Amino acid sequence: MKNGTHLSGVSRRTILQGAAAVGGSLLVPATVRAQAQPVSGGTLRVAMPYNPAALDPLTGRNNPDFNTLYTIFDALIGFEPSTLELKPMLAKSWEFTDPTTLVLELQEGVEFHDGEPFNADAVVFHLTRCKDDPRSNVKSDVASIDTVEATGPMQVSIKLTRPDASLPAVLTDRPGLIVSPKSVKEAADGNVDRAPVGTGPFKFVEWRDNDLIKVERNTNYWADAPYLDAIDLRIINELNTAARTVTAGEADIALNLGAQQIAVARRSGDLEAEATPSLIYYTSFLNYARGPLADVKVRQAMNWALNREDINRVIMLELGQGHCSMFPSGFWANDPETENYYTHDIDRAKALLAEAGHSNGIEIETWAWPDQAAQQRQEVVSAQLAEAGIRLKVTPATPPQAMQNFLGDKQGDQLLSPTGGLPDPSLAYDRVFSASAYRNAGEIELDGYRPLMDASLSTFDQDARQKVMYDMQRFVLENALHLPQYLSAGMIVRRPEVNGFEFGLPQRPRFHKVWIAA
Amino acid sequence: MYAIGRMILRRLGQLVPVVLVATFVVFSLVFIMPGDPAIVLAGDYATQERIDEIRRIHGFDQPMLVQYLNWLWNVLHFDLGQSLYSNEDVAKLISDRLPHTILLVAYALMLGAVIGIPMGIYAATQQGSTIDKLITSFASLGVAIPNFWLGIILVTYFSLTWHLFPATGAVSFWDDPVEALRHATLPALALSTNVVAVLARQVRSALLEVLTSQHFRTLRAKGLGSSSILWKHGLRNVAATMLTITGLQVNRLFSSAVILEAVFAIPGVGALISYSALNKDIPVVQGIALVLVIYVILINLIVDVLNALLDPRVAAST
Repeated sequence: MKNGTHLSGVSRRTILQGAAAVGGSLLVPATVRAQAQPVSGGTLRVAMPYNPAALDPLTGRNNPDFNTLYTIFDALIGFEPSTLELKPMLAKSWEFTDPTTLVLELQEGVEFHDGEPFNADAVVFHLTRCKDDPRSNVKSDVASIDTVEATGPMQVSIKLTRPDASLPAVLTDRPGLIVSPKSVKEAADGNVDRAPVGTGPFKFVEWRDNDLIKVERNTNYWADAPYLDAIDLRIINELNTAARTVTAGEADIALNLGAQQIAVARRSGDLEAEATPSLIYYTSFLNYARGPLADVKVRQAMNWALNREDINRVIMLELGQGHCSMFPSGFWANDPETENYYTHDIDRAKALLAEAGHSNGIEIETWAWPDQAAQQRQEVVSAQLAEAGIRLKVTPATPPQAMQNFLGDKQGDQLLSPTGGLPDPSLAYDRVFSASAYRNAGEIELDGYRPLMDASLSTFDQDARQKVMYDMQRFVLENALHLPQYLSAGMIVRRPEVNGFEFGLPQRPRFHKVWIAA
Repeated sequence: MYAIGRMILRRLGQLVPVVLVATFVVFSLVFIMPGDPAIVLAGDYATQERIDEIRRIHGFDQPMLVQYLNWLWNVLHFDLGQSLYSNEDVAKLISDRLPHTILLVAYALMLGAVIGIPMGIYAATQQGSTIDKLITSFASLGVAIPNFWLGIILVTYFSLTWHLFPATGAVSFWDDPVEALRHATLPALALSTNVVAVLARQVRSALLEVLTSQHFRTLRAKGLGSSSILWKHGLRNVAATMLTITGLQVNRLFSSAVILEAVFAIPGVGALISYSALNKDIPVVQGIALVLVIYVILINLIVDVLNALLDPRVAAST
């Protein structure tokens, strides 16, 4: 159960190598395949559509925040962007000494940007803050942690209340991004939302809200030095405008774009437009505790009625993946045998509806987001379901409105929404299907779910864990617990001079290997 | 001057109740909008427990009136609060962004006046001519063309094809006035189209009315030349109309700037208020509403004062 630099890799690595072989070079973007010699210097101008809520990893909340977070912060545990294979970072190794104890051995000679040393005390302070700070948004991520103890100057022992095999992956995420304790102690109310101090390859300089974030090279970086002198991250909410900054030469790279911008950029011979596999997927959360969707046959009928390849073709311009798994093809937790469990079969959908007593069709109350792309998705899904006699009664609402109405007030039967991006598949299932999950509007778990979830958290052998994940995927699909539509893609447009950029499966780039050709 | 001074004092006295009513209405509208900011604040994978905790921390579980009065009390202590989402000071957010929007609006207004007023005058003096018909048609088109569409067209040619102006962004006028104007040119042009059209139409029709009145027929009969009638008497008579319409246009330009700021990635208050309203970031929305209400009242006051200076009867009657 030990991982890190001192071990020659566990079976997970074998699995991931196999997965990489299946995924092949498709999982590796062209920017990484470039063979030119890296050069140092220059400021990378990035355009991105989302303003972070906070640059304190604990109090921030959305996945695109990582465009900035990983420049400033190192995580306890790193990952291979194209496979999520765990790698040493601030922890040079980690080991479950028993199912409820995780021991981390920390890197030596690391300093925070404020000159304070990184050590076991800093990790203890940080993880305790994750659990106890009233403003922490990651309490649920570290719910399994009972106590955190410095068992040596550079060793931390984490005691758990229950086995949690997902914890190492969680430490690649917000809870693992270690903030300088000194910065927190010196800040008013411990609030470092706008004054982040980490150990990462770049130091925070300035944040003009919803306009610009500037970071500069950390000259004392403990690992390989970054190539770039600085990064200017411009926040441009409108996707077409963000892409246009690269076309106009006002930015070097635009992140988190949509398929339309990729299509337009590809018509220009001067730009590189890339779409790489992603853990973000589009689905419908279903309330299967009551109403028409309490009947598994209705849920299955909806799943058979969708033509996911067509959806991917129309909505994603074939840049995504049109299957019904929550994970992209080639990812270790995705069972290739069931990723196409539901194919387009209108007759089967109608037959199931008839068996459920709805031979004249059925109406499903649906919430959808109001933006243009969401409306387009909703129209395609509605049209396909209508072929089987499933009529969607759609109410568009802003994401907070729709979530409150469907998830909070339990109105309606389904909510069309993007989701995903979590670093561990157990979390991906837990946050949607566990009874306590906010996205589970019905707040129930079907028979058979809990043993699989518990097994996924208490199974440490990677081969065995993969088998559990395959079983979980089959369970979710057989019971049609949601209505998956397609896997998205990490979409960027860049100037050809920008090299070494990798968005990765979770769409969380680290810029320290990015360089600009002269 | 005494009458004008009284008018100014009276208008400033109206400021307090208008601000109270306007901010309460905006607060109520944002409050009753469906959606819970706690859900957004809790993040992508929130738990119900965390959402409830956030509601308590921010006082979202309190009655609307209590929340409004809390906000008002803080405003009276010169504290506009912090953004719910970025924790940035609202006063700083607004002061950072307002100059970009003011530059854009002022530039658009200047373009609108410089182009629109001469067009209206020329059309009025050449009534029925081909040029008059062209100007009238252009004015109709100018009202109909969506600003954002024109903005995209301008960017396509002037930025992406001919590289004459930046496609996006804004520069502080105080840091670099030339670069600031260069950045603001295309959005201001797109924004000014409606102003050009409205001013041209209104000036033309007001001037026509004046020029065909009995008073002006008399002036002509007395032997005054056309140019003297136009510049000395005609324009003075339509000045009040031009001023009032221009004042109204300023207010309208602020709302139009919302979309253009998105198209040109200008970090102004327009982009900020739309983003904040959609996310129910009440402190930011309230802060901007407060500033804009005061601003609109002041603009109207300036217009009224100028009108009063042109025509003292205005001061006496308002």
